[in-house]
Amino acid sequence: MESDIIVVIVVATALVFDFTNGFHDTANVVATSISTRAMAPPLAVGYASILNFIGAFISLQVAATVAQDVVNPAAVGLLAVFAGLVGAIAWNLVTWYFGLPSSSSHALLGGMVGAVLVADGADAIYFKEGILGKVMIPAIVAPILAFVVGGLAILVLYRIVGRLRPGPVSGGFRLGQVLSGGMLALAHGTNDAQKTMGVITLALVANGSISHDNIQVPDWVVASAATAIALGTYVGGWRIIKTMGSRIHKMDSAQGFAAQGAGATVILAASNVGFPLSTTHTISGAVIGSGAAKRLSAVRWGVAGNIVVAWVLTFPAAACIGALTYGITRIFGTGAAGPVIVSALILIGAAFLFIRRAQQQAATPVSPAAEA
Amino acid sequence: MIGAIVDSGDLVRVIWVSLVAGIGVTAVFGFAILGGTRAMEHGRDGRPIEATLFGVVGAVAMAAVIAAIVLGIIALVNK
Repeated sequence: MESDIIVVIVVATALVFDFTNGFHDTANVVATSISTRAMAPPLAVGYASILNFIGAFISLQVAATVAQDVVNPAAVGLLAVFAGLVGAIAWNLVTWYFGLPSSSSHALLGGMVGAVLVADGADAIYFKEGILGKVMIPAIVAPILAFVVGGLAILVLYRIVGRLRPGPVSGGFRLGQVLSGGMLALAHGTNDAQKTMGVITLALVANGSISHDNIQVPDWVVASAATAIALGTYVGGWRIIKTMGSRIHKMDSAQGFAAQGAGATVILAASNVGFPLSTTHTISGAVIGSGAAKRLSAVRWGVAGNIVVAWVLTFPAAACIGALTYGITRIFGTGAAGPVIVSALILIGAAFLFIRRAQQQAATPVSPAAEA
Repeated sequence: MIGAIVDSGDLVRVIWVSLVAGIGVTAVFGFAILGGTRAMEHGRDGRPIEATLFGVVGAVAMAAVIAAIVLGIIALVNK
């Protein structure tokens, strides 16, 4: 009975994380389409949320990686899974509040590793083939690859269309961004929603609901995670959109198309082999690559630098919060009391941040019109 | 040493697929824009043959882009 309550709390917490992932990552998916005026913001966000939902059903490779290749599913307990999720949510909320586009994916994996390390020991973590081989090394390769692909793609594009009249070319690429933006949203769904599915599946294995010898992601897990991330994307965060879309550098529609295309292909290729990437890192690399290829000075490297700082901090910060959360949860024993109390504290903290944000926005409104 | 830690086959596959698809599909779309724009210009200038040729280039390129996207999604679903 107590373990069932904990499972319900873990699943609910995971879906809340998925929701925060969606609205935290909205900018990654739609910022370039909005900054080039390819799509109006409400349309871009609605379109992205639908394709995020569809993308979540396309591939389960990343879910499988998270469920069984990062930590030992036979050794992990429910409380550790819960604490890892809380670590990720807490870091997501902090970076959302300060407008830093950090990686929700690394926050989730960092939170999990921190909590499992404290709860079940180092033997429960697959450091070499799992953390390094499937997470860290791809995490370093992906944004560099997206940078190269984005940069080369825009150079090739300018060669092909450079002598044409700008008006029709810009219009053509704005239409093209409907396609590239859609693919990016789809790619986001194939990678990010999968991580939550993997964590929920891990919780079900820890509870004994699924055998650790034959781990399959249940259909209801796929559907609920897809719905949560789509809703989160729809709600979205304008503050983070401002950072990604225009504060890094102003771009033309051809650059936007190249950046989105580069980000989408890297993420989709990684999803196909089960690498849980950071969509934030990857699309940022693509955006910077397409901007730097045109003119190095057009890229606001200072803002890009702030993003790098957030990235470097995310994994260890979320791990520390995950570990701390596990410790706090265990104060109340091994039953459901700990997760209930910690969940309540997180809700109060989140509500406080949302109210503060709303008060600040009411005092200083930020809108597309103001940005234009 | 990296090959001992990460499945290098998967990593290499991600790299070459991203390069080929990311740059290739983008370039082909560029030809779709080129074809469509030149077709409009030649049509306006009263050159129907050139307009038709460029129109065909644009249409074929656009079809290739869509085909590449569909094939990519099919590959993902069938994995």
